[in-house]
Amino acid sequence: MSLRESVENKDIALIDILDVILDKGVAIKADLVISIAGVDLVYLDLRVLISSVESLVQAQQQDARKHVSSEQFDKQKEALEDATASPHQ
Amino acid sequence: MDNLIYLYGIIPESEAADHSLDKMKDFEETGFLQMLPVDDVIAITCLLDASKYTEESIQDKIDNDMEWLQEKAFHHHETVMNLSKLFTVIPLKFCTLYKNEDSLRTSILENEEKMLRTLESIAGKEEWNLKVYCDDQLLKEQFSENNPAAEAKRAEISELSKGRQFFEKKKLDKWMETEIEAEKDTVSEAIHRELCDLSTCGHVKKTWSKDVTGKKDPMTWNSVYLMEVEKVEQFLERIQQYQKDMKAAGWQFEASGPWPAYHFSSLS
Repeated sequence: MSLRESVENKDIALIDILDVILDKGVAIKADLVISIAGVDLVYLDLRVLISSVESLVQAQQQDARKHVSSEQFDKQKEALEDATASPHQ
Repeated sequence: MDNLIYLYGIIPESEAADHSLDKMKDFEETGFLQMLPVDDVIAITCLLDASKYTEESIQDKIDNDMEWLQEKAFHHHETVMNLSKLFTVIPLKFCTLYKNEDSLRTSILENEEKMLRTLESIAGKEEWNLKVYCDDQLLKEQFSENNPAAEAKRAEISELSKGRQFFEKKKLDKWMETEIEAEKDTVSEAIHRELCDLSTCGHVKKTWSKDVTGKKDPMTWNSVYLMEVEKVEQFLERIQQYQKDMKAAGWQFEASGPWPAYHFSSLS
C-alpha cells in the first residue's frame, strides 16, 4: 500500500471539516447571508454535545451491568441456599 | 413551491462531459445534485424548499442545533470531496444559497474570470494538510540535559538558599520555555520551507488549542500545501522521514488529505 493510500483512509477530525467548510470555503455573493461564529467555538459546542451523548450511553451501559450483576447475585444466592438447605427427608 | 438553490462548487465546463454526478444525494438526501451550466463553468447545485429554509431558520439551526450542523457539515464536505475526485472543483462555503437561477448566474458571471483562473491553477493538484504536535515535557527534559547554559544555571542555583532556589528555578523554567518555543518555531519553519519547495504553494494556518484538538500534546504547527498529484507520495515520504527522525525527541507529524483545494481557491 502506498503512503498516500494509508493516509487517505484515516479518519478526519470534525474540526478539520468545519474549519474548511465554514471558514475556508470560497465565499461569493449569495442571497442568503449566514454568519458563523469562530470555528473553535462551534466545534467546542459540538464536543460538549458528543460527550454528553457518550456519557448518556455509558450511564445506560452501567445500569445494564448493575442489572445483570443483581441477577447474578440472586442466582448465586439461590445456589447457596440450595447447597446449605437441609436435604428433604 | 418556491425553491432555493444550494451551490456546492464550480467545475470547468470542459470537464463536465467526463463524468456524471452518478446519483449524488442532495442536501435533504431525498433528491440528487444537478449541473447548471453558466457560460464556461458549471455550478453544482441542488434545490431546497424555500418555505423550510430561510436565512433565520438556517441561522437558528447553526446556532442551536448542533446535531443538524454536524450532519449537514458532513454532507457538504462529503459532496465536495466526491466532486473533487471526479472534477477540478472550486469548493464553496457551507450554505451558499440563491433565491433563483438568475441571481446565481449573475453572481457566477461576475466572478467567472477569476473562477477560470483559479480552476486552471488547481487543476491536477490536491490540497494536503500537515499538523505537528510536540511533547513539551520531553522537549524540556532534553533541553535541560543538553543545553550548557541551562546546566550552568542549575549549578548556580544549587548554591543558593532554599528560598532563593525556588524563585530562581521558576525563572529558569520560564527562560527554558521561551527558548523551546523559539526552537519549535525555527524547526517548523525550516520544515515548512522544505515542503513548500516540493509543492506549488504553501500556507501557514492558525494552530488549535488542546481544548479543540483533544490531544495530549499542544499543536505546534498547522499548514496546507497545494500539491501536484504525482508529487504527493514524495511529500508524504518526506513527512514520514521527519517523523522517524524526530519522534524520539517528542515530535509528532500528522498529514491529512487529499482535500478539495479549500485554501487555494480564493477569488479575492
